[in-house]
Amino acid sequence: MRSLLHALILGLLGAGIVHIVVLFLVPEFSERDAWSRLAMASDLYKMTRLDAEAGGAPVVKSVDPLFYAAACRFDLADGLVRIKAPGDVPFWSASVYDRNGHNIYSFNDHNANGEKLDAVVLTPAQMIDVRRDLPEDLQGAIFVEAPIEEGIFVVRAFVPDESWKPIVSRFLEQSACELQDD
Amino acid sequence: MLKNAILTLLSLAIAIGLGGYSVWYALNAQDGVGAIRIGQWTAFPESGTLAADPYSKARVAREGVLALGQAEGLAFVAERDDAGDPLKRECAYTIEGGYPTARFWTLYAADQSLGVIDTGKARQSALQSYEVLRQPDNSVVISVGRRPAPGNWLLTGGSGKMYFVLTFYDTPIASSTGLSDVTLPRILKAGCNA
Repeated sequence: MRSLLHALILGLLGAGIVHIVVLFLVPEFSERDAWSRLAMASDLYKMTRLDAEAGGAPVVKSVDPLFYAAACRFDLADGLVRIKAPGDVPFWSASVYDRNGHNIYSFNDHNANGEKLDAVVLTPAQMIDVRRDLPEDLQGAIFVEAPIEEGIFVVRAFVPDESWKPIVSRFLEQSACELQDD
Repeated sequence: MLKNAILTLLSLAIAIGLGGYSVWYALNAQDGVGAIRIGQWTAFPESGTLAADPYSKARVAREGVLALGQAEGLAFVAERDDAGDPLKRECAYTIEGGYPTARFWTLYAADQSLGVIDTGKARQSALQSYEVLRQPDNSVVISVGRRPAPGNWLLTGGSGKMYFVLTFYDTPIASSTGLSDVTLPRILKAGCNA
């Protein structure tokens, strides 16, 4: 009887340990996280629509039905990445996520120069290089310093009503996600 | 000898079974650590950021969510009406009251996975603040139901559990200091036809 109780207590203690271990392993081994889903849908540096409007099931879920969104994956180990979108939409916002889907930095059209989306994502080390000699065409861009390598850039745009759908779609289709080699 | 082996197996079974199940249960529960409740509305301002707790980090990884950033907006979810009853798709509701400062907000009726419910009709089950009619005191009254209603009408349909998702975009309340004195609209049940 004593040994049964002993086994039960040991089991409960073990359950606590397993709980904590599993909890911390889920983000490491998840194959359903945003990065993996996007990787299945498209390549690095390619803007992909996240909403269902483009056909098929939405790539990443829980997008506001009154919003269209697009995302691209990047790897800062290759160099800086520049995201541009010509914009005349009622509202857009953008976010940088790390490999595990954590929001690192976000901004919206009121933070931007002339309401156009023009952002550069780079690591602090690359920032030092760029600051030393700022290329002409990068002036006016929003610099997002992110201490990450792999990451996801997401652009969301508001669709107030039916008539805005083609305009907002075009905004996202014309958005570009480019690797800048230097 | 055999007794020892069985006892060891029992401990292992409890440890792995209970440990795994408790994680699964905790990740599926809608309520969590770090939630902010205002009336019946719940928000997770830290979900999806590096400051989030391990549970919401695991949830983000498992569900593939890309949470809204602070400069983008903040989403509130309601699963109960003001009387404390769970929201049902076969019932009609009135959502009334004022809204906190934001550039605009959107409201939609959602299913269990927080995707917009499929009404099977051309009209979406979503409203936004630029298109709503306002009362003289700037508050908004929204009728929710399957039958058309005068004023602001949010179409629903089907049966089963329902959630309301109210998202504020470009809003100062997303930085959590502003959350203390925010009031959100009330959800009142208007009637059910089961």
